[in-house]
Amino acid sequence: MSETQVPQVRVTCTVNGAAVDRDADLDRTLLDFLRDDLGLTGTKGSCLEGECGSCTVILDGAAVNSCLVLAAQTQGCKVETIEGLANGDKLHVLQDKFLASGAAQCGYCTPGLIMAAKVLLDADPNPNEQVFFEGMEGNICRCTGYAAICEAIRSAAKEWK
Amino acid sequence: MFHQPRDRAEALDLRARWAGDATVLNGGTDLLVALNRDAIQLRHVLDLSRVAGFSDINRENGHWVFSGGATLAKIARIPVAALARAAMSTGGPAIRNRGTIAGNLGTASPAGDGCVALLANDAFVELTHATRGVRSIPIADYFTGFRKTALLADELITSVRVPADWKTAWQKIGKRGSINISLVCGAGGVSPTGAVRLAYGCVAPTVIRAKSAEAIIDRDGWSDGAIEAAAQAAMKDVAPIDDHRASATYRRAMVGVVTRRLLKELRP
Repeated sequence: MSETQVPQVRVTCTVNGAAVDRDADLDRTLLDFLRDDLGLTGTKGSCLEGECGSCTVILDGAAVNSCLVLAAQTQGCKVETIEGLANGDKLHVLQDKFLASGAAQCGYCTPGLIMAAKVLLDADPNPNEQVFFEGMEGNICRCTGYAAICEAIRSAAKEWK
Repeated sequence: MFHQPRDRAEALDLRARWAGDATVLNGGTDLLVALNRDAIQLRHVLDLSRVAGFSDINRENGHWVFSGGATLAKIARIPVAALARAAMSTGGPAIRNRGTIAGNLGTASPAGDGCVALLANDAFVELTHATRGVRSIPIADYFTGFRKTALLADELITSVRVPADWKTAWQKIGKRGSINISLVCGAGGVSPTGAVRLAYGCVAPTVIRAKSAEAIIDRDGWSDGAIEAAAQAAMKDVAPIDDHRASATYRRAMVGVVTRRLLKELRP
């Protein structure tokens, strides 16, 4: 099917606090909409089937895989991505702790991990072991072995506001 | 065209009007995987994620009634052990926040954890048409073939009724606790009158029950000997295949393991 035959949909939502109102292909995923239409390339696509979590963003307060949401489905919704976390030059505490703990090697999974961790800690700033792992089990890292990632999230939790 | 109905009547009308020309979407955790693989093209999308009350879960006359859009995250908090644990074992939080019970039934994957749990306690699937009304189908009659079901192209899966008074158990064999697709999963149920159900995923073209294993427990009770005989029978009731995830031989052996674990947990 050529580009011109794909039905268009008006997408009206909020991304990192900014109003978005533009046309998108009916079959545009939120991942591609963020990266290719809005230029927000912090969110990474990898498996495109919901196993790896690298494309995790926050949709109306809940973690979602942006590769498995249609842009059209975000009508009236609030979308938060990794680009929305820092306040100017001041990094978000999760970004800060990921750096301090050396929680990234290639870094491809990091934006997704940080967004999943934000949802986890917003819901429970002091999660027990089970809640912690249930909150993070949707995100895979193939480099680090997870110890530094867990340490970063635990130390961010201590300063959670 | 992208249709995002706000109430049930509008959703049913659109489904009746467009039938097979419209692709039904809710959480997207199966549909978007197919889209990302270029396996489907979208012309009309019927998005049910904004239908009022469509994610509700209610207790009615001794049953849990799950609206079609009830998410796995919500189901994981309901005290029906097998179903809640099946929901919790599916994907990570991002999948559980989006995936729904009707989506699980609509996809009807032979690996559908939720489908296995529903098969183990005689759930009823409610299929609704805008004008013909509701058909309530016993779960055992719902799955008709590999990814084929009793759902007609102009109907929606509006709700699922699950008896609240069964004792149920859940077992999943996979490479990790969740996230991964099951290699073999199984659910067991015992009704208040003592009827036994054993259901499995990933070991046949549909999720299936091991009826000869159920019959052994019905006839011989819950002794260690009866449980072992039932485990052996269950391994013959299933028809697994070799694939890149596991061999048929391994899957059959795991049906035995899963059956022993389920029956020991359910033993009165």
